[in-house]
Amino acid sequence: MTESEMIEYDEIVRNCCCSYCGNNCDDITYLLKDKKIVGVRHACRLGASKIINDTDQRLLNPMIRNEEGILEETTWDIALDKVTQLLSASMRPLFYGWGETSVEAIKKGIVLAQQTGAVMDNQSTICHGASIQAFQNVGHPVMTLGEVKNRSDVIIYIGTNPMDDHPRHLTRYTTFPEGFFRQNGREDRLLITLDPKYTNTAKISDKWIQFNMNEDYSLFNAIRTILNGGKLKSDKIAGVDKEELYDLVDIMKNAECGSLFFGLGLTQTLAKQRNVDVLIQLIEDLNKYTKWSMLPMRGFFNVNGFNIAMTTETGYPYGVDFARGYPRYMVGETTTIDLLNRREPDFFMAVAADPVIQFPGYSIKHLTQIPVIQVDTHWGPYTEIADIVLPSTRVGVETEGTGYRMDGIPLFMKKVIDKPENCHSDEWILHQLNERIKKINGDT
Amino acid sequence: MKIINLKLKESVKVALEFDNVLPELLYDKNIQQINDIIIYQGNKERFLSELFEIKISGDAENPDDCKIVLDGDLHRIKYIGNNMAHGTIIANGDVDLHVAAMMSGGHIIVNGDAESYAGREMTGGLLEIKGNVKEYCGSSYIGEWRGMNGGTIIIGGSCGKQLADCMLSGNIYIKGDCDILAGIHMSGGYIEIEGNVTSWPGGQMKKGVIVIKGNVGEVLQGFDYQESICHPLINGKYHIGQYDLYIGDSTTRGKGQLWIKR
Repeated sequence: MTESEMIEYDEIVRNCCCSYCGNNCDDITYLLKDKKIVGVRHACRLGASKIINDTDQRLLNPMIRNEEGILEETTWDIALDKVTQLLSASMRPLFYGWGETSVEAIKKGIVLAQQTGAVMDNQSTICHGASIQAFQNVGHPVMTLGEVKNRSDVIIYIGTNPMDDHPRHLTRYTTFPEGFFRQNGREDRLLITLDPKYTNTAKISDKWIQFNMNEDYSLFNAIRTILNGGKLKSDKIAGVDKEELYDLVDIMKNAECGSLFFGLGLTQTLAKQRNVDVLIQLIEDLNKYTKWSMLPMRGFFNVNGFNIAMTTETGYPYGVDFARGYPRYMVGETTTIDLLNRREPDFFMAVAADPVIQFPGYSIKHLTQIPVIQVDTHWGPYTEIADIVLPSTRVGVETEGTGYRMDGIPLFMKKVIDKPENCHSDEWILHQLNERIKKINGDT
Repeated sequence: MKIINLKLKESVKVALEFDNVLPELLYDKNIQQINDIIIYQGNKERFLSELFEIKISGDAENPDDCKIVLDGDLHRIKYIGNNMAHGTIIANGDVDLHVAAMMSGGHIIVNGDAESYAGREMTGGLLEIKGNVKEYCGSSYIGEWRGMNGGTIIIGGSCGKQLADCMLSGNIYIKGDCDILAGIHMSGGYIEIEGNVTSWPGGQMKKGVIVIKGNVGEVLQGFDYQESICHPLINGKYHIGQYDLYIGDSTTRGKGQLWIKR
């Protein structure tokens, strides 16, 4: 059966960039019929389903919640004026999200935060913020995914499950593809997973090492002790037999080129950034013997782009506070969950994110008590508490823009189809807010 | 001595930043000038007199003769004594983040609990907290390798995670318990903990001394047991009891001393 018999299409657009996870797969092909996407090739099940189900629950018009608590459709001018009015009166505004929009929109957001003295934060605050803190402390032995594909013969995943979260990570970059120095693909590589759980990634690994949850720091300290010529005093460390750790160190030392990927299993357990800190130093130790490098498994397609853009513009990666007219950054003070738990923000705007899915209940409770604005493409749990909804467009599908892959490679994400008539890009929405705030500031 | 009494009129939701309220900045000011001191609340500037009842008594020739007494609900006042070099501040109640951050001299007493980053990057002076403190007490700024580098911190209660992160010198005394990774990345200074420590004291430490009088959950593999000593002399003081000495953290080729009471 040929492809044309499976899906009827009249146009094909190749080399598009997926706007789902941090892999930013840039080999996606869209099949179009009557200027609508009817099929997706090369994408994983997660990326494809996001495109195919795009029209489901789509936000199509700006809305304001009325006195009865129901969202009512309105005009863009009324909605934007209302947001401007609330924002300019706010003492502690907080802008959150940005992981699923373009760098161009993020830059407009930074200007708005500067103008209004807001705090600007992204999803790093609840995922890899701890990794970024560790990078600031001890550096980052970084690599590109291209290097991994062409060179690595030992791949280690720690506290992450890419088979479920980043399905093409193994097939496109790390484990299965043929590389320049790895002509036999999977057969040329050894795959090891360290995880307290027997994940789908652990199932396809050559070796799975199970360790106790929250004891990551102790485990990595023990591995470093072996690497530095010390002896282990206990028979089991973090639930792992010491012989198994000696074997692991042998494998790591004898690799031709090793790559290590880690996820939220490290950043969100007991020692948080110190788990990553000690892991980075473990990689430094390994580089005395052979070539090793590491990468965090970033979630959203441009969560890394936010950190890069923010660092370029302000010097700080996330949780940047402009309240005093200049950027400040202090984890625990200017980060979203801490601010919400301290009940400080009196205005909250989420751009391309759904905080109700991502935040703890105690933080969400505060969101129900202050003006909250949604700038997003789809109806979600956050819409249920939003006071004003501004419908936006999909980057890499309806709007072009720049995204950064998890290894820091910038990728241009092209426009494939036209946007819904009454939706606007995040960049346009933020520009309109900037212009309105400028007018107010000029008047006063 | 000049005593400046500041009483917060009513509780605030958005934290006040108190870095402009220091003995060295106020000792020579009259009531009108103190009323007009600007403090920050979120993105707004506020006059001190808008939020506080202010009383002054006595005079001061120099900042060391000035004492600021804070009353009312202080739990949303941060940066108390930030960059302080002279004089005394007494806070009668729980205080917010960064009390005594970058303090280089003087004396701060907190009659209550303190939030995280108490005594961050402190280089001198004395910070006394009668209650508990949260995380990163006596620590460095995020991403910075140099933490507390002088001065003394005395905590009457317990302490959160990563006490004295990247400490270079100075003394910290904790009367209660301490959470994980006390003295992480420490390369000098002295920490004395009278209570229990959850786990992993001295992770990646290079130099310095940690004395623990309670129980320790787990000592890291990077520490090597040396000997057991009765009533050891540590930091110029005899410690009564039998103590085990560990040296580490060997992963950073460290020679830090970890003394744990049996």
